[in-house]
Amino acid sequence: MKLEMFHLAPYRGLPDDFREKYRSVWVDVPSHLFDPEKAHEYYNQTLDELVYAAEMGYDGICVNEHHQNAYGLMPSPNLMAAAMARQTKDVAIIVMGNSIALYDPPIRVAEEMAMLDCISGGRLVAGLPVGTSMDTTFAYGVNPSIIREKHAEAEELILRAWTEDEIFSFDGKYTQLRYVNIWPKPMQKPHPPVWVPGAGSIETWQQTVDKGFLYAYLSYSGFKRGQKVMGGFWKNAHAAGVDNPYQAGFLQLVCVGDSEQEVADKYGPHIEYFFNKMLHVYAGFADAPGYRTIETIKAGLMAQTSSFGRPGAEVASFEQLKEQGNVIAGTPKQVTEQLEYVIKDLHIGHLMILNQVGSMPHELALENIKRTATEVVPNLRHIWNDNPEYTDDWWPSGALVRDGAGAAV
Amino acid sequence: MKESSLPVRNGQFNVDILQSGDGLPLLFLHGIGGLQWDPFLERLASSHRVIAPRMPGFGGSTGSETLSDIHDLVYFYLDLLDALDLRDFGIVGHSLGGMIAAELAAVQPERFTKVVLIAPLGLWDPEHPVLDFFSVAPAELSQAMYFDQKSEAAKALASTPQAKLPEVDPDTEEGKAVIDFYVERAKSMSTAAKYLWPIPNKGLSKRLHRLTQQTLLIWGADDGICPPAYGIDFMDTLPNATLHLVPEAAHMVCVEQPDAVAELVAGFVGEA
Repeated sequence: MKLEMFHLAPYRGLPDDFREKYRSVWVDVPSHLFDPEKAHEYYNQTLDELVYAAEMGYDGICVNEHHQNAYGLMPSPNLMAAAMARQTKDVAIIVMGNSIALYDPPIRVAEEMAMLDCISGGRLVAGLPVGTSMDTTFAYGVNPSIIREKHAEAEELILRAWTEDEIFSFDGKYTQLRYVNIWPKPMQKPHPPVWVPGAGSIETWQQTVDKGFLYAYLSYSGFKRGQKVMGGFWKNAHAAGVDNPYQAGFLQLVCVGDSEQEVADKYGPHIEYFFNKMLHVYAGFADAPGYRTIETIKAGLMAQTSSFGRPGAEVASFEQLKEQGNVIAGTPKQVTEQLEYVIKDLHIGHLMILNQVGSMPHELALENIKRTATEVVPNLRHIWNDNPEYTDDWWPSGALVRDGAGAAV
Repeated sequence: MKESSLPVRNGQFNVDILQSGDGLPLLFLHGIGGLQWDPFLERLASSHRVIAPRMPGFGGSTGSETLSDIHDLVYFYLDLLDALDLRDFGIVGHSLGGMIAAELAAVQPERFTKVVLIAPLGLWDPEHPVLDFFSVAPAELSQAMYFDQKSEAAKALASTPQAKLPEVDPDTEEGKAVIDFYVERAKSMSTAAKYLWPIPNKGLSKRLHRLTQQTLLIWGADDGICPPAYGIDFMDTLPNATLHLVPEAAHMVCVEQPDAVAELVAGFVGEA
């Protein structure tokens, strides 16, 4: 079992009345709310928290890409990953990932990820997502009717740019290049492991199985709703004879303290900030026409799996969110038990944990990271060890593998 | 009214065609809301042979996946007009259909005797941005589309199932209806997005000078999608155009004032 710390680099200082006053945290979030002095603090705290997570014993540290929003301040996760690669020695650097349909030509992504792989010594995980509707179609203006086709073409080009030994030409519908010959190429052979963050598009389940990529379900709906999506993935995987939990990942918010009361007092307001402000996305931005495939709409999945743009959604309380499984919070023992259940129930080999959430201040984030990494993570690593057929073929070859006590194996 | 399906380009497309009436042929190209045989078309059919194709990607018309941009779309329509054997006739387009009509008339100005553009898209004026109809909530869209919010059409639009999206259960009748609505919306609006995303300027202003035939511009005075200021922008570039504002109407001017608009169109096109 691998456990990774995921960070969104949220804007921690939105006003109390944000939800009442403004319609969206994404795309048209009011520009005047951005304070670069605060952002200077947040970026450095984010990097410090990620590096601290590595020092405390997490297996990997994750960043991702979002645009024009206060939910996650990393338009370029690669800049963060470059700093992380220099400040850590052995953890996986998980870029989760680059929205490859946004870049013309997409070999820019192949180049930057190859740089990260070389700088980090082969520790890069390459996430190649479509990206959210807000980021791709509204903030970056990509036509929703072509985004999936453009994404597929970019993925093919990037993989070929990483792996082919000879210079080649590429005559695509969206990209034409006479000479494809990236310098550098990735250190990992044939290429860094590809993780595909999904949000419930049913085609993605089949495609990740067919291509041998890792499927990661990133949602804040919690593990109870996650069962439907991961169940869909495993149904496709089992049909293809695939049963290895390491091919699947899941994201979970986690808060650890000495008692349930202490956890509620300390973390509750920040969890509420996250669900009530960070996910406050105008419904019209959450699902541009054509962004979801017809098959996904027909399956009725979009409504049940999207965390964003839920018009009229009630303001949620910490207790409700805990009850619904959106957040797993409690003593180290309680959290360990619940996460063990989630891991086994969803059959996942990678759990990405959000330890800094919403407005959570730096000191509290560090405390949560330390307690999770030292009092929870070591008790979960053993989970898939009893089946020798379960090998993690989606782990970067340059990253360390640790035993339960955190030592190198 | 007679409805048929016409294969175009050896069956690459199958296009629904609604037809009615006798007399001079008049081609009608519908807007982003799709094609219905409505009182406006019925009224036009009393004096003209009205031919209304449904754009590929809308309803039962197929082949949209082979079209990528306005360039592809124009050549599809030229093939469609050849298949219909239409030459020397009037063309009427509303909204997205108005933009397409203007593009066609720019490519083959000699083919069209008269051009009527009803609240056409196709230009971008930062002083008067076209409403982002791809993202706005149904109630706001209804305000922009209709002058009279109490009309049946406005009420139907304002209460579309989008408002109920979050809690859909596909195993119920209501859930199925919401999903059906969403499938058609995804199909038709993603088709429209090919030609209008993210802003509806695909270079038409560089081609409008080629519309040398008489052109009539019709605008709902309260159009909240593309405001009447765009009428002035079209007038500035079109060599031979007149602009007519229709009161008590918004973007769906031909639905809200069918008799007035049909009379304007029939009178204009009828002058041979």
